[in-house]
Amino acid sequence: MDILKTKLTRRRFLQASGTAAGATAVAGGVGYATLAPVSEAQAQSGGGTTITKSICAQCPARCGIDVYTTDGRVHAIYGDPGNPIANGKLCPKGHLGTYFLYDADRFRGPMKRTNPKKGRNEDPKFVPISWDEAFGTVAKRLQALRDKGESHRFAHFYGRGWGPTDAGLYGDFGKLYGTPNSAIGHASLCAEGSKRAKQATDGNNSYNAYDYKNTNYILNFGAGFLEAFRPYNNLMQQWGHMRTKSPKTRITSIDVRMSTTMAASDRALMIKPATDAALALAVAHVMLVEGMWDKEFVGDFKDGFNLFKSGQEVPEGSFTEKWTLGLAEWWNTVVKDATPKWAAEITTLSESDILAVAREFGSTRPAMAIMERGPTAHTNGTYAGMCIHALNALAGTMFAKGGMFYQMGVPYGGLPVKSEDFMDEYAKSPDRKKPRLDLAGSADWPMTGTMMQECAKNHLAGKPYKMDTAMFFYTNPIFTAPDAKSWEEALKDVFVIDTSPFPGETAMYADIVMPEHTYLERLQDSPTYPFEGWPMTALRVPAIKPLYDTKHFGDMIIEIGKRMSGPMGEYYKALGNVENIVRARAKGFEANPGDNGVNSYESWVEKGVWFKKPYHWRQYRGEFYEWDGKDYTKKMTADDVKAKLMKTPSGKFEFKSGFLEKHAEYIQRTLGVTPERVGFPQYLPAKHTGGGGDLHLVTPKTSMHAEGRGANLPHAIALAQPSMGGKTTVYLEIHPETAKKRGIKNNGKVRLKANLGTIEAIARYSPATRPDTLILPQEFGHWAQGRWAKGRLAGNTSEICDNVSDPISGLACYYTGKVTIEAA
Amino acid sequence: MSNNASTMAAPSGLVNTVFLAGIAGAVISVVLVLASLMGEGHASFNTTSDGVVWGLPISNYLFFVIMSTGLTFVAAFGMVFGIKEFYPVAKRCVWLALATLLAGFASLAFELGHPFRMLWALPTSFQIYSPMNWMGVLYGAELVFIVWKMQKLNAGDWDSGVSKKLGMASFVAAILAVAMLGSVFGMMAMRPYWFGGMIPMYFLLSALLCGVALTVLISYIAYGFERNSMPPAMQDLFKGTTSTLYASIPVVFGTVIGITLVALTLRTATGLWSHQDGFQAFNWMVASPWFTIEAIALLAAFVMMMNPGMRAGQGAQIGAAVLVLVAMFIDRYLFVIGGQVVPVFKGAWVSGFVDYTPSLTEWMLVVMSISLCLAIYAFGEKKLRLTDAPSS
Amino acid sequence: MAKWGMVIDLDKCTGCTACTTACGMENNRLPGENWQDVLFYQEGEFPSGTMKWFPRPCMHCENASCVEVCPTRATYKDPEGGLVLIDWNKCIGCKYCMIACPYGVRFYTDEKAPIQPDVKQVFKGDGKRSWNPPWRAPENRDDWKHGVGVQPNGVVSKCTFCYHRITKAPKGTPDLDPNNPALREFTPACVVTCAPTARFFGDLDNPNSEVSKMIANQRGVRLRDHTGNKPQVYYLTGGAGGAIPTDRRDKKS
Repeated sequence: MDILKTKLTRRRFLQASGTAAGATAVAGGVGYATLAPVSEAQAQSGGGTTITKSICAQCPARCGIDVYTTDGRVHAIYGDPGNPIANGKLCPKGHLGTYFLYDADRFRGPMKRTNPKKGRNEDPKFVPISWDEAFGTVAKRLQALRDKGESHRFAHFYGRGWGPTDAGLYGDFGKLYGTPNSAIGHASLCAEGSKRAKQATDGNNSYNAYDYKNTNYILNFGAGFLEAFRPYNNLMQQWGHMRTKSPKTRITSIDVRMSTTMAASDRALMIKPATDAALALAVAHVMLVEGMWDKEFVGDFKDGFNLFKSGQEVPEGSFTEKWTLGLAEWWNTVVKDATPKWAAEITTLSESDILAVAREFGSTRPAMAIMERGPTAHTNGTYAGMCIHALNALAGTMFAKGGMFYQMGVPYGGLPVKSEDFMDEYAKSPDRKKPRLDLAGSADWPMTGTMMQECAKNHLAGKPYKMDTAMFFYTNPIFTAPDAKSWEEALKDVFVIDTSPFPGETAMYADIVMPEHTYLERLQDSPTYPFEGWPMTALRVPAIKPLYDTKHFGDMIIEIGKRMSGPMGEYYKALGNVENIVRARAKGFEANPGDNGVNSYESWVEKGVWFKKPYHWRQYRGEFYEWDGKDYTKKMTADDVKAKLMKTPSGKFEFKSGFLEKHAEYIQRTLGVTPERVGFPQYLPAKHTGGGGDLHLVTPKTSMHAEGRGANLPHAIALAQPSMGGKTTVYLEIHPETAKKRGIKNNGKVRLKANLGTIEAIARYSPATRPDTLILPQEFGHWAQGRWAKGRLAGNTSEICDNVSDPISGLACYYTGKVTIEAA
Repeated sequence: MSNNASTMAAPSGLVNTVFLAGIAGAVISVVLVLASLMGEGHASFNTTSDGVVWGLPISNYLFFVIMSTGLTFVAAFGMVFGIKEFYPVAKRCVWLALATLLAGFASLAFELGHPFRMLWALPTSFQIYSPMNWMGVLYGAELVFIVWKMQKLNAGDWDSGVSKKLGMASFVAAILAVAMLGSVFGMMAMRPYWFGGMIPMYFLLSALLCGVALTVLISYIAYGFERNSMPPAMQDLFKGTTSTLYASIPVVFGTVIGITLVALTLRTATGLWSHQDGFQAFNWMVASPWFTIEAIALLAAFVMMMNPGMRAGQGAQIGAAVLVLVAMFIDRYLFVIGGQVVPVFKGAWVSGFVDYTPSLTEWMLVVMSISLCLAIYAFGEKKLRLTDAPSS
Repeated sequence: MAKWGMVIDLDKCTGCTACTTACGMENNRLPGENWQDVLFYQEGEFPSGTMKWFPRPCMHCENASCVEVCPTRATYKDPEGGLVLIDWNKCIGCKYCMIACPYGVRFYTDEKAPIQPDVKQVFKGDGKRSWNPPWRAPENRDDWKHGVGVQPNGVVSKCTFCYHRITKAPKGTPDLDPNNPALREFTPACVVTCAPTARFFGDLDNPNSEVSKMIANQRGVRLRDHTGNKPQVYYLTGGAGGAIPTDRRDKKS
């Protein structure tokens, strides 16, 4: 701490410009003094160690953590034993939280830019300002925009929202202020494909909740179960259980690279990128031909004889379905020809492996087919996801014990003020119904919810309009979005507000920097991501007073709101601050005390989590039941199921998707699928990007990838890719034959070329890698960020990733690029 | 035997040059080493916990302290075994044994994390199972005996009872010390490249080789590379014209090179032949260009000393001595590093063999040892009448 | 008097390295200096190539070769719990123990930092500690006699089995189970955090301890047993990703 004080408090920003960077990188000191006094965290002393309940913030899992603080210093983080996700355990990232808090490169307080020029090599020349000035400047700008009737030209961008105290504030802000762009989320850069696949089949636009504890078979399509799939920590706990329970859960993993998940599975199938749909269809084909589908959930042939014969159509009306729709038609249109032999050619897997997997999956119950971004980050991603998810219907997995379902919400208390009561004429005017900047949901992208990756392009083209002001929270698209460099152009004439506590690429373009607290300094509630279905919400309680002059992001929104004129300002004055929000939400627990006794704000702070088991619905042998308080006894009608569980047009699991058929014309235009076929899960060859390269480039997240925020932690860098031994860098994994043909040496420098440009990396021979595929973990290649992140090989994979998205889900196709490689 | 303090020739001008060069080299290298140690500490070395732990400074230490033993042997030919023909080099060898010992210790001192702590922690917490400790004790004893013996010689006392016993004691201490140094490595069963009870024997053998080689080189330096300036008895010793067959530098030198070559070849062949895990280090060793240099140098020196037409020649002797010293410096390096190049469970962190290239600071320690050795030697040559020998 | 030992179930280990980071945080380790490392190996070739990994703490050997070579007895076998510890007051930094350890689990402080800039230069030491990270453990935990705390310069360090935690456990405890709230704070950091519960810690001298039973029932093996070092860490071996590597490096690499 004394070091921080003497060496680093003066520095607000790791100066990024040319020669100065080297000189100041370690010694620090561009000579800023903080205006507001820095809280004397080091002076907080007194006695023993306190344990504060909080939530980790390095991935979406929301593991409850015990934060150990002694003499005003946080020195340890362990999993919270009372938190149902963490159960006292943590993943490798979890323990690094202390390093984030004490990151030597953190911003010390709000600042404004004094160099109007923006660019990679433009020093922003930040000067410290007071929070009042920061809020005042932003509010004045937003007010002026609103007064001109151009409030839609203000956009919020966010990555990881946690709940009511941050992302939860966007909706009301947009309504009151009058912009459709509050906020543009990051889901389209993340895993929107699996959500849309589920929406298209079972009517839930959501990730799944899973009952891993009771499953006996997992067919895993490209989910980094033991690396990056959420909730990672809990998945590993489940793994330990599944691998030692009786019977042991068998796991087959399908991926395009060798990973710990693949290695630890019973069978690893190294599939050709973007062909997962073909494998899933072949599994369905075998299940149907060999009569292994779940007849109680799906239904059966009228006369009980299996008419599914490879290559032959079944007569119309011969099959009676129960909870599904369109199985026979799907068979006749798609599945009858999807033989293992057919799939083997497409996927490069062996026919015998495909057959073996299909029989295992088909004959084991309960069994689930899971997936995430891997198979869906291609132009054919939603269809691929549907093919995979269709297996869960065939196996009767939906809502069954040991199966998959969806997450319940938290019975939160309402806010003390309602935004509807504070809408002025401007906010209510029909003129405010503007298209979003990203055109999500417009005729261009009718099936998408959010399209952050389109914003730079749209802004540059002025279509639908140009942005004036943008506020970034937990997102850094200028580094991470596909065709990242286009953002560097786009943000030049935008007034940028960055709220990250750490320096970064967005901050380099920022006009105002309003650093938020790091997570150990925040009061913040966060409802769980889809987990086991039953409702849960955890709480971050500050473990330490803020080290520097930072603020809670929610308070920033509120403070800006308070400075707006008219009812909007009144609304935020009435709302007060984030603590009021948390207290108001906790009121909901009075009537619904959690299983751990949490029934108030105070008990929530003490225990760190509210949850209430069990999940309320269950499908058992083809019937749906609802929890009556003691057991699953209330049998549900088809209408109940449609209203509560399978929200498709038919109320069934649709092998013939009504959702897709509604957009048949659009899908035909974008993907070339004829209207007769448009509703069926099917394999489409992916359109590979990159400008005609010969090798697939796959850019996975490794287990240390704290959503990009680990790039400046030396401890995380050293463990970024232990599987390849990358202590100082992440290596490009390349098959030795592929490398030798191109004259690439083990540990030699290489250049990856695509139509958008080139990046460099160090290659390492990896005989387990597919010869047609290159693996380069995303994380490094920052051109700004802290002293450890900046300029570290490998290059930024987003710079050579085309901005191409799955037309249905809008998910950016991060894994669909093909590149060429040469020795550098 | 009567004491004789006759000095045949004054030290040549070359010795002055050597002295000045030695002092300059020592000062420069020590300043550089201290600067980097005080700045970065041992981070200025290229040794790492997940790679090579004992690097060039340790192999440099080995080179010098093993040579010290060898010099004690050469001195003992005359003073312990009574082969009087070796008297002309005896005192110089005793002094050189001291110089090399100090040069080696200096390298070790800069390599240790806490050299001063060693001074109290070692005697107060002596671990009897540690070969390193016994090595330290024995080298310490050798140092004491050599200093004492040198003091006796300088006083002209070549053959009093005490002086003779001191000669015997330093000889025994030197043998045991180098054997124990060999055991520091030879006892490491977890590192097959080093393991074995014959390693101390190899150290003894190569000690003699180094001792003879340095005796040859320094003797010529002492007389300005002019054999004709040497006392007649010494000339006989170097020409191999004494009445005793084995009292001949070329014969002894050539024989020891030959035996060392055989030992080295067999050790290498054994290592290459075996498939046991850890022996891959021998593949690393023979693939190293340094190994080729070492082998060629030793073979060339052997040929020079075996060739009847060459071995008595001054040029051949100097050349062979230099070649042997270079070869053995490499040999120590390959030995020390080779035991560590096969990673002990380092996984993917290390691909293939462990990488190690000595840093500038580490090389400076070599410069320091050489310079110290030369400076101490030249000081002795100037002040301590190293050409002294008993008259009869 | 206990003989503390660890059991690692390789069939459950997921190779996540949480043990490494938990240890690093608990013991203030430097980046890349992993007292508790997980080592990865690739075997075979596409399409049947695979990856293996192997978690490796200090083995706290019964016949510890590091103890025997240490000239000043700075490395010693702790008589209370059978641990192998280093007294930083006595270590002279000769690194012989690092040479003699068959498992490669010892670390010297004074080395080039793999990750530049060196964190030791960013959080500079105070003459006593070799560096001074703001997240370091509370002052009263420093215990040089047992190698606990931020390391001083010029000495060797290693896994202590979290000496500062386990020595607070009630005497006679057969197993330190992190799921037992009464024992959680006394359990080694890597065992506490291990998500798949692949790690167990207990008294090997107590035949009723869970670790003793697991070793008996689930084929507990010791690493490189031929060295005779007799590790107090046992591996349970299954057929999954985690496995003991049979060879270190092939001849041609």
